[in-house]
Amino acid sequence: MEQRNLQFIIEEIWPKVKKKHLYPEIPIPKVGKIEENAQKDQEQAVGIEIKQKQITINPAFVYQMKDKMREEQVIEALLDHGVAHYTFCPWDFQTHLLLYAEAKRVVNDKELAKQVAGYFMDVITDTYCVKTKSTEIPQLHRNLKKSKVEEVIASLYQKIWGIDLGISNESNTGSRHDEIVRRLARIPYLDRSRWPESIQKFARSIKSLLTYEKEEEGKRGGNRGSNPQGDHNLDNYSFEEIDQGLRDYAKRTMAVSEFRDIVEDFSEELKEMGYGMEGGMGRGRGNPIDADILFYMKLAETYSIPIKKVKTEEKGSLHPHSHSPWEIGSPFQDVDPWTSFGKIMPGITQIWKKKEGKGRGKLEGTPDCLIAIDSSGSMINPRKSLSYAVLGAACATNAYLRNDSKVAVYNFSDAPMGGKDILNFTNKKEDIYRTLCKYFGGGTALDLEDIMSLMNGRKNVDLFIITDMKITNLEALIGFLSQIQNRITVVHIGENPYASRFEKAVEKKKNISIFTVKRKEDIPHIVLGSIREYWNSNL
Amino acid sequence: MIHEKKMNEITKKVLQNQTKKESLAVKNPFGEFDNFQFKKVEIPLDKIVQDTEVVMDKIRIGYEKLLEEEAKELVWMVQYNTIIKAYELAEKYVKEIDYTAEDIEDFCFALENTQRIPYLIPGPAGIYISALCNCVKDEEIKLKLSELKTEINLIGFRLPKGKRLVIEGDTGDFTGIGLEGGELVVEGNAKNWTGAGMRSGKILVKKNIGLHTGEWMMGGEIYVGGRVRGLGNIVEGKIFERDKLIYPGKVRYPNLYY
Repeated sequence: MEQRNLQFIIEEIWPKVKKKHLYPEIPIPKVGKIEENAQKDQEQAVGIEIKQKQITINPAFVYQMKDKMREEQVIEALLDHGVAHYTFCPWDFQTHLLLYAEAKRVVNDKELAKQVAGYFMDVITDTYCVKTKSTEIPQLHRNLKKSKVEEVIASLYQKIWGIDLGISNESNTGSRHDEIVRRLARIPYLDRSRWPESIQKFARSIKSLLTYEKEEEGKRGGNRGSNPQGDHNLDNYSFEEIDQGLRDYAKRTMAVSEFRDIVEDFSEELKEMGYGMEGGMGRGRGNPIDADILFYMKLAETYSIPIKKVKTEEKGSLHPHSHSPWEIGSPFQDVDPWTSFGKIMPGITQIWKKKEGKGRGKLEGTPDCLIAIDSSGSMINPRKSLSYAVLGAACATNAYLRNDSKVAVYNFSDAPMGGKDILNFTNKKEDIYRTLCKYFGGGTALDLEDIMSLMNGRKNVDLFIITDMKITNLEALIGFLSQIQNRITVVHIGENPYASRFEKAVEKKKNISIFTVKRKEDIPHIVLGSIREYWNSNL
Repeated sequence: MIHEKKMNEITKKVLQNQTKKESLAVKNPFGEFDNFQFKKVEIPLDKIVQDTEVVMDKIRIGYEKLLEEEAKELVWMVQYNTIIKAYELAEKYVKEIDYTAEDIEDFCFALENTQRIPYLIPGPAGIYISALCNCVKDEEIKLKLSELKTEINLIGFRLPKGKRLVIEGDTGDFTGIGLEGGELVVEGNAKNWTGAGMRSGKILVKKNIGLHTGEWMMGGEIYVGGRVRGLGNIVEGKIFERDKLIYPGKVRYPNLYY
C-alpha cells in the first residue's frame, strides 16, 4: 500500500523533474527494493538505484527520512540526482571509464579509484543541480547520516554552494579535514573539459582520507557502506552504452595497456554483463576476457569500410522449385493460383518454394578473404602496444564479416620453422581476432603450401597481406601471386629494397594492389582509404 | 431584414471556419517553454574557481618573465651566481602576488601541462617554486607531488626559519640547498647534492638520498630514513642515516659512494 503511495508521488513529481532537466529520455522511475552490498546493519539505506536507465527509489530510504523531510522532497532530490547523472555527469560510459582511469592513476587501487570516481561524479551532479535547477538536494544532504568521507564532502558542499548543511567545524575533526576541503573547493567541477585533471586533483586531496577509512573498515572487519545516493557501477548502463563506451575509450586512448588495465579492473562486471570472448559479438559467459582482443575489436569497430561486391559464380537468382501448402501469414506473392484452384484457403492453396539457382554472374556477392599477417620480430607485438597492422587486418575482417563472408587467417613469422598460426575460413570473430593478435617474433618466411591449401583453388577469395616485406622467400611469393587471379591487396610498411623488388615484379598485374605505408600510424587511414578506392573501382 | 439574416449567416460561417482553422493549427512544441526561466544562480564555487584562475595566471606570468630573463635560449646552467640572480628575480615577481600554498601545488602540476605553461625548465622552475614557498603567508606548506612526472630540482632553496615545507613524492637534485633555518620534509627520495651549502635548519628525507649529500654544508641537520648514497665535503652540521649519526664521525667518508 505504502509502495503504491510512493509510486503515486513519483508519477506526480516526474513531469516536473523531466521538465526541469529538459525532458531526458528516461523511463518513469519506479519504487522497489534495492539490494545493498554493504553490511546489513548499516544505519542508512540506499536511496536510489539506476540500472540500464531505470531509476528505482528505495521505499525504506524514503521512510527513514520521513521525520526530517517530506516524501515528495526526498523523492525529488533523489530524482534530480539520478537524472543529472544522465544529463550531465558522467553522461556516458566512456566518460565514466575516463574518470575512473584518471583516478586510478593517482590512488593506484581499483576499489579506491571506483570510490573516488563515484564521489567525484556525485559532487558534480549535485553541484550542477544546485547551480542550475531548483532542487531539494541541499535539504537531503542536511539530513543524511554521514561517514567521515561524506562529512568532508558535505563540508565541501557547504563551502562551494554557500548553503548551511549543518556541518560544524568541531564535528569535522579539525584542521586536517579543513585542508582537504580547502583543496577540494578549488576544483572547477562544472567545467567538463577539465574533468580529467580535476579528478586527479580530487583524488590527490581525498586519497589519504579514503585510505584511512579503508584501513579502519578492515580493522572492524566490515565493508564500506553503500552510498545513499546510489553506487556507480556498470549496471547503470545498457549493453549498447557499454559497447559504445569501450569503442570510444579504445579510440581515445589508442593504447593497449591502458585499455587492458581498465577492462581487467571491470572484468567481473563485464563478465556479468556477458562479455566473455566466446559467443556472438564478443559476449558470452564463463570465459576470461581477453582485454587485448577486445581492444582491437572495439577499436576496429570505429572504422568502417565498404567492400565492392563482385559477380560470384555460385550465386544465381531464386527460381520456383517445388510446392508447399500455404499457411496463414505466408506471402501471397508466392501463391501458385494454378495449383490452388483459384482459392485462398489453408489446406488447398499452394505456394512456390524457391531455391537459389547456379546462375553465372547474375547476383553480386562478397567473396571470402584470406588475411596473411606478418608477426615477425620487425613487426610490433600487438599485445604490448598498438599494432596498426593488426588494426588494419581487424578492420578488413569486420568489413568482410559484415557482408556475410568468411575470413581465414594466416599469421606467419618463420612459417617453415613452425612460426605460424592458421585459421580456416570462419565467421567467428573472436577466433579471427585471437589469431590476428598472436605474435611470434623471429624471422619472416611464408609457407606457400599453407596458403594454397587454404585457398584450395578458389577464385573468389580475396587475399589481403600485411607485412614489412622483409620476407626471406620473397621470390617464391612473387611467383605464386603472379599465377593467381584473385583480388590481392598488399600493404607493406616502410620502404626497403624488398618492397621495391616486389612492387616492380607485380606492377603489371591488375589484380594486385600495393599500398606503401611510411608512417605506421597511418595504416588504418591509408589502408582503409585506399582499399575503399580499390574495392569500389571496377576490376 | 433578409439582408440582415444573410449577413448573420455569413458571420456565423466565418466564425465556424475560424474555429476550424484554429483547431487544425499546428501546436508549437516549445510552447511549454514560453514562460520557462533558466535558473542559474551564482554559487561560491564560481568565485573560488575564478579567483584561483586569476592567481594562477599571475604566477604563470611571473614564471614566464623569469624564463625570459634567465633562460633566454631555454638553457640554464646551475652555477652559484645564476641561482642567486634567478632567485632574486623570482622573489621580486612572486612578492607581487597574493597566493596560498594550494596555488603552489597547482602551479607544479600546471608546469607539466604544456597547454598552460609552454616550458618546464627544471632549474628555474625549482627556483621559482622555492621563492613561492618562501614568500607565501602560510607557515606550513604541503605539496602533494607524488603524481608529478618530473622531479623538481632546487626545491626548498633558502627555506627560512619558521617555515615547514612538506613534499609528498620525490625531489630532484639540489634539494634544500642554502637552507636558512626552515624544515624541509621529503616523503620520498631526494637526488644528488641535497642540502648543499645549507646554513641551518633540518632536512628530513623519508627514503633514500643521492651523492654529494651536504656538500659545503655550514650547519643544520639532515635525517635520512633510507640509504645515503654518498656524502660531500661537509664543513659543519650533522647527517643521520636511519637514526645513526654518520657525520661527523668515521662511519662515512666524503666522495666515497655506497
